[in-house]
Amino acid sequence: MNPAVLKMALLGSRSSWGRMAGIGGGVAIGVCLVLLLWSAANGLAQRDARGAWLREMGQTPVTVPLAADGLTANGRPEPIPLAPDKILLGFPGDIFRDQLINHRDIAALPTTTVKIPGIGAPPAPGQYYASPALQRLIESTPAEELGDRYGQFAGVIDDSALPGPDALVVITGVSEAQLRQGPAAMLVTDFTPNPYGESASLYRTALMVGGIAVLFPVLLLVSIATGLGAAQRRERFATLRLIGASPRLISGMAAVETAIPSLAGALLGVVLAVVFRPAAAQVPVDGTRVFLADFTFGAGFAGTAVVLVVAACALVAARRNARTGIGPLGVTRAMHEKTPTLWRAGPLLAGLAGMAFGAVLAKVDTDGNPWTSPLLIGGFALTAVGVVTVGPWLTRMVSTIGLHRARSAAAVIAASRIRQTPVATFRSVSGLVIAAFMVSVFAGGVSAIETIDAPEARPGLLLPTSVYALVAPGFTPGHVSSVAQNIQEVAGIRDVTVGYARAALGRGEDMDIYIPAEDAPSLGFRETLAEQVAAFDTSFLNSWTTTPVALTAAPVHSLAGLAPVVLVVGTDGTAEALDRARTALNTSGVTATPATSRADLATMGSTRLIQGLSALAYLGVFVAVVIAGISLAASTAAAILDRKRVLGLMRLMGMPVAVLRRVIVREAAVPLLAVLLLSVGLGFLVAWLMIISFGRGRTITWPGPEYYAALSLSLLLALAAVAATFGLVRSNTAITATRSE
Amino acid sequence: MSTIDTTSPILSARGVHHGFGQTEALRGIDVDVHAGEVLAVMGPSGSGKSTLLHCLAGILAPIRGTVAYAPRGQAPVNISGLGEAERSRLRLTDFGFVFQFGQLLPELTALDNVSLPLLLGGTKRAEARQRSKELLERLGLDGFTAKLPGELSGGQAQRVAIARALVTAPAVLFADEPTGSLDSLAAENVLTLMLDLVREAGTTVVLITHDARTAAYADREIIVLDGSISAGHRVAA
Repeated sequence: MNPAVLKMALLGSRSSWGRMAGIGGGVAIGVCLVLLLWSAANGLAQRDARGAWLREMGQTPVTVPLAADGLTANGRPEPIPLAPDKILLGFPGDIFRDQLINHRDIAALPTTTVKIPGIGAPPAPGQYYASPALQRLIESTPAEELGDRYGQFAGVIDDSALPGPDALVVITGVSEAQLRQGPAAMLVTDFTPNPYGESASLYRTALMVGGIAVLFPVLLLVSIATGLGAAQRRERFATLRLIGASPRLISGMAAVETAIPSLAGALLGVVLAVVFRPAAAQVPVDGTRVFLADFTFGAGFAGTAVVLVVAACALVAARRNARTGIGPLGVTRAMHEKTPTLWRAGPLLAGLAGMAFGAVLAKVDTDGNPWTSPLLIGGFALTAVGVVTVGPWLTRMVSTIGLHRARSAAAVIAASRIRQTPVATFRSVSGLVIAAFMVSVFAGGVSAIETIDAPEARPGLLLPTSVYALVAPGFTPGHVSSVAQNIQEVAGIRDVTVGYARAALGRGEDMDIYIPAEDAPSLGFRETLAEQVAAFDTSFLNSWTTTPVALTAAPVHSLAGLAPVVLVVGTDGTAEALDRARTALNTSGVTATPATSRADLATMGSTRLIQGLSALAYLGVFVAVVIAGISLAASTAAAILDRKRVLGLMRLMGMPVAVLRRVIVREAAVPLLAVLLLSVGLGFLVAWLMIISFGRGRTITWPGPEYYAALSLSLLLALAAVAATFGLVRSNTAITATRSE
Repeated sequence: MSTIDTTSPILSARGVHHGFGQTEALRGIDVDVHAGEVLAVMGPSGSGKSTLLHCLAGILAPIRGTVAYAPRGQAPVNISGLGEAERSRLRLTDFGFVFQFGQLLPELTALDNVSLPLLLGGTKRAEARQRSKELLERLGLDGFTAKLPGELSGGQAQRVAIARALVTAPAVLFADEPTGSLDSLAAENVLTLMLDLVREAGTTVVLITHDARTAAYADREIIVLDGSISAGHRVAA
């Protein structure tokens, strides 16, 4: 390209500098966020790798003698004895407040050669190793609420075996006999180094969706800023065309003009990402942060991102400029938009179909189908594109109705312009529409968490203020009763009920539990029975039970001769009392399972999955809204400059500036409101598809107040962006704009 | 056909000065425009004729001097002493404007373009469209009401602009090179139609032109040179 022409393109006026600064700023923010999102994805993958050993499930610790057919059991299961290369690993569920603690019990021979990640040799019985975060928690919490569960502190677990700096992990040493008493201890020879990758995979999917969401408004900003540049320099470009510059040269100028600030912006974005990396690494995802060392994007990815973003911006600018239709005599084609047809709904429908198919795959193939994530990501991207492509069609429909019903001059002018140029008009608000779509997606996702609030107290279901633990076999009723009395003494404990059965209970077994009928009210039953002994089904204890369980008369008249199978501890409902009850049960020495409450399902499930993303999501959406607001202001300014002569003449003929302002506001408001409802609805539909794919049975509900705040912010920003151009309406429609010469 | 009232001017400029920065565009102009007359303002490019039109129409406020507007039977009003909002209102209700080109809103149909001043004045849309349609029919555009400006020829677009200028029945029509972008045949056609309509309605016209043939349609012409009136005379009938 001729240097003189390039200089003319780049250094045309002060407004060029402003425009280029806008492009550079937008790209810098976009690249910075993309790099931080990529760092988060890497960090999550590293986090999964560090915590891979926690996935080790081991092998069954017993052998079953087989009959001659080699298939049927012949005799009782025989324990496989511990050996130097074998340890026994237990997985007691452990919860403090609403935080899940990764707790591993280990029984090993003193001569063991098995290396425990993060600590090396296993702890001796009665000792424990804790992650630094858990140890801090233990030290800052009364011992009866937490510390008493683990014994004597032996040391901290090394970072190499911890998912993140906030990870709550504890490894306790127990005796072999104690571990074999429980139902779930396994034999382990070494710990797997292979991460299952589920968490990283899910978050990577979500983060890539976030990346698309961030880059979309940036490219829209570039497109709109280029359009503004073309409008500002229409005469200049027309003159160049008149003296022989080809349309390709003009487009090339736009590409170069955009590429240079984009490159500067992208490099600035890399610098910003480096600067903000430590702060961004503090954002907890899935309940914990990742180590700063894991939160990296790498030079290769940064270089690729810079090249791709700059190339995308240059291409968008060249294409946008080519479409402004500036010929040797000025604009010749700008008003000849093709009428949008319903075909524009194609990408939207294809995107939704892809996501729906991905959701079905996720439901059908619970082991994780490799096509699920690509279908959901691709479907999401197509849906986002679809919102933008279908927008002009919808805008035109609304404006046609609006024109028919228009009564005022402002309404006629605005509706007519929108109807003639629905693509250009919609483009100006598309950034905000996408932002509204994105915020709805995330709000829908976050709302899924809020459906798992603390369970309500209902007769026939375990009270949410109670915790229970199954009693290990072999303990006499007298011993268990004395343990129950001891627990009763703990502060905040209201009652302790011992449940009995004909034989020891295993988790999930379907069997009736018998209690003294007088204890029934303390478990939340309202029925009153004449009999001495009442019975209820074991499903009463399950946290996933939602249908109330009936209290019935037991087929026995006395509890004598029955085995104690469960301890149910009722508390005053405070978090402290619940944790004291857990500690008391877990250290009672008679329980085979960890203390459990109905609220545990929420804590142990995937509830944090999307919750962890909400902070990132709202940050991303906020940035997208700001960029979109700038785009709208630039676009509105371009729309005014495009028509400065004719609007100036209207003013000259007596049209008040207020009418022109109303025209500008309507031109932004109609397409925005026309598609806003659609994008909000689609956002929740997309969120729902994501949730049913990844949310394991969760569903979405009404979003929280932050959603309405974000949506209001979008609309306020739109209003502010349009209002910011009011000055331009007055100055650019002054008399000088109307001179014929 | 109306007559020219030479007893009292509808527009009267006295000692009007105006400038842009260091450039003095008008240097103490005195001119009267009589009700019902067609006044041609001639002069070369840059002589100040458009600035004079803008001052007479209340678009620009003179730096010095006064412009009085006295519609028939009413007391004169000093336009240059009015605020911008009042001047805008006056232009909307009492004045009409036609320019050389590019004055129609490209997204509006011919009918909606013509209706605009009526809508701005508070007329209901149905009535505005009806009156606009009648005027467009009189200008020979009855088959073009639903066309966009881009679909009209130059002459047709100027006729739409004339219809828009006259639809409010203004007392004064300001026309700045109204045929400047047309070929001679189209120019004559447009000018004839416009003047027939204004003469029938008794509308006063201030016609800016540098074309002597266009000026020949006027009742009187003045020549502006370097911001001053250098000559004025009545055009032979």
